[in-house]
Amino acid sequence: MESAALDIPGVFRLGETRRKPDPGFPLNLGREGVHEICEASHGDMAAMTGFALAAARPPAGAVFWVRQFGLSREHGQLLHAGLETVARPPAGLLSVETRKTSDALWASEEAICSGAVGLVIAEIEGLDFTASRRLTLAASRHGIPLILLLPWRRDGSSAATARWRVTSRPSAPNAFDARAPGASRWQAVLEKSRQAPQMAGHVFNIELDHETLSLRVVSGLAAHAPSPRAAPADIDIRDAPPRQQTG
Amino acid sequence: MTPRPGSKQVEPARKPFVLVEDGPHGLRVAAANASARTLGISAGLGFTDARARCPDLMHEDIDRQADQTALQRIGDWMVRLSPIVALDGYDGLMIETTGCDHLHGGEAKMMKAVAGLLERNAIPHRLGLASTPGAASALARARPGHILADGEEAADLADLPISALRLSAEAETLLKRFGLRRIGQLYGIDRKALGRRFQSRAAGDAVLLRLDQALGLRREPLTPLTEPPSHITRLPCPEPLLAIEGVEAGLEQLAEALCVKLTDQGQGARAFAFHAFRADGEVSSVSVTLARPVRTPKHILRLFSEKIDQIDPGFGIDLMMLEARRTGPVDISAPALSGDLAASDTDPVLLSALADRITAKLGEGAVRITEAHESHLPEQAERKAAFDGALPAPAVPHISHGPRPIRLIDPPEEIKVLAEVPDGPPLRFIWRRVPHAVTRADGPERLSPEWWTWTAPPPPSGSPEGMDRKWLNPKLDPRADAALISRIRSELEMDDIGEPISNLPRARDYYRIEDSDGRRFWLFRQGLYEDGRGGPPLWFMHGLFA
Repeated sequence: MESAALDIPGVFRLGETRRKPDPGFPLNLGREGVHEICEASHGDMAAMTGFALAAARPPAGAVFWVRQFGLSREHGQLLHAGLETVARPPAGLLSVETRKTSDALWASEEAICSGAVGLVIAEIEGLDFTASRRLTLAASRHGIPLILLLPWRRDGSSAATARWRVTSRPSAPNAFDARAPGASRWQAVLEKSRQAPQMAGHVFNIELDHETLSLRVVSGLAAHAPSPRAAPADIDIRDAPPRQQTG
Repeated sequence: MTPRPGSKQVEPARKPFVLVEDGPHGLRVAAANASARTLGISAGLGFTDARARCPDLMHEDIDRQADQTALQRIGDWMVRLSPIVALDGYDGLMIETTGCDHLHGGEAKMMKAVAGLLERNAIPHRLGLASTPGAASALARARPGHILADGEEAADLADLPISALRLSAEAETLLKRFGLRRIGQLYGIDRKALGRRFQSRAAGDAVLLRLDQALGLRREPLTPLTEPPSHITRLPCPEPLLAIEGVEAGLEQLAEALCVKLTDQGQGARAFAFHAFRADGEVSSVSVTLARPVRTPKHILRLFSEKIDQIDPGFGIDLMMLEARRTGPVDISAPALSGDLAASDTDPVLLSALADRITAKLGEGAVRITEAHESHLPEQAERKAAFDGALPAPAVPHISHGPRPIRLIDPPEEIKVLAEVPDGPPLRFIWRRVPHAVTRADGPERLSPEWWTWTAPPPPSGSPEGMDRKWLNPKLDPRADAALISRIRSELEMDDIGEPISNLPRARDYYRIEDSDGRRFWLFRQGLYEDGRGGPPLWFMHGLFA
């Protein structure tokens, strides 16, 4: 019995001899375990949300979304019409908004343990090692994946399966209008992974195909950062008076 | 100092004592104790007169609010006897005993039980039991301790004084002046003649109404303090319970009994309330709500387990009650044997159970779903609603509008923008004090205001004629409104008032923007130059693209 209790999938133990085949991108994000997705810098929350939904491809079953009041105030709330542009809409989406981090963590654990939903996504301000360990154990025991969306302050140790750091990149060229933004591009850095430790530090430059809702890896993104639109250089809008009509 | 029923200060040492109230003609006696009443001091007497009859009369100001609260507390406690308990004036309680008296072994024994409960808590009381509320009230006031058989109201009430009929003080005085002192004297009187004696017809009618209600000729519905539940299970405790473990065990028994009752009727309930009645006249209650009708004891107990420690046993709990409210048919559907044949991958029962647990801890309406609404405005097209056990049907994908951001900032935040005049896309903008340089822009997508949901505030004074009518009333013909607006506008321009109509909603032009860091925004310009609906247009940040 004791060995059965220790043989919990997803629990990392030293001296692991069994070698699993390398999972490809996105390393079971939204398939199993707890994945932390963090902002690279303040303001990347929307890019993270899009990356999480596009990479995880919400599986069968409802999605349970836990939000913390402060974060949704700061970065806005999920819009269904926008969700449809990055991923296939899930069978159902339930949301819970809490003020306290402890309540958000409790709601996430309840959702994982209920077995009623297919994926749990939690936007929280932060969590300590104990909480992440607890969530990882719950997720592996019940087989429900959890995605944590965390602000840029997130750092330090964690028991999560993987940690990603996502930032938005200039979008792909628009084939129909050169002046308009094209397909969304993101840069995702795999900071740490318990499934594939050798891939830690790997940088994925990915692009979302809005037609097929699939991701593809692109290269040379940095080379083609477009220059800002030409604006009269002598105007500083910070102290510009309200624009007057010139007719 | 509040004169609470049961507190010992009401009759200190049996001296004459009154409660006084400020009336239109100076201080009035509002209530008097027994020794004051023997001196001829009764409610309604002027305080100076009372003082003249008894120079060392003690008095206090009456606190009607505290009396009402105390009465309501007793009323809540009396729910242990019957689900329908109503307030009767400011000094009485009505308990509907129909269907409850057999639990105590008959009407006489029930009355004894009520008296015992009140006596144990030193609450002075007078009881009466009859088949109409009016007769019961008259008995309690004039001949306490009596039980009136059904159909004998007229004979038995005849000897009681008029004051037992719950009449206003003026009506009572007037009737006494006519020499009508007993209820029986009212029976033979010509009703029209009686009505004419009073100053107003309403006053006469009020007397007749009270008489008819006492005799059972007119119905008198009770207004219960709390809505009676659909099902109740009760568990009296032989010894008052002090430990929370005992309460938990009792709750378990109650839940099982209640679920058997619900199963018999093929029903479930969406709300459960647990009351612990304490021996000292208090009741402490907890309740849970559910997303869909349920009759599983295990699930109900799990929801209560979060809250059971809020029950305060005080000096001991002698009765526990579990109520089921908001009942409805339970949706029973067998799960499909094959996963492929299942209509959906979500189990509504499991999902509701999850929602119930979260609602029990975080409050009602904590778990929400998004519902689609017919609206142009993106912040109104999706609304949050409490999850009630059913997931919304998947929305038809919108193809009629342009791309929508993944996160919506609601309400929109005003930003400073440098843009081409009159309707070019932004070149630079400042949002939350951070300047952004625009590299690429797409748009505009124009969203027109919803004139049909909008009615203008009243127009300013000195407006052209025709504006006193409410603008854009949804019932009116839209073409007529368009004509009206254009006419008003042309008149305004003709008169050269120089003030645009500023209280009309403005169109929004949305732009999809990418800045030099690769972040994508959704912002809009509210209004156009020269749209005549206010000053220069304003810019707002409304969403973030992935």
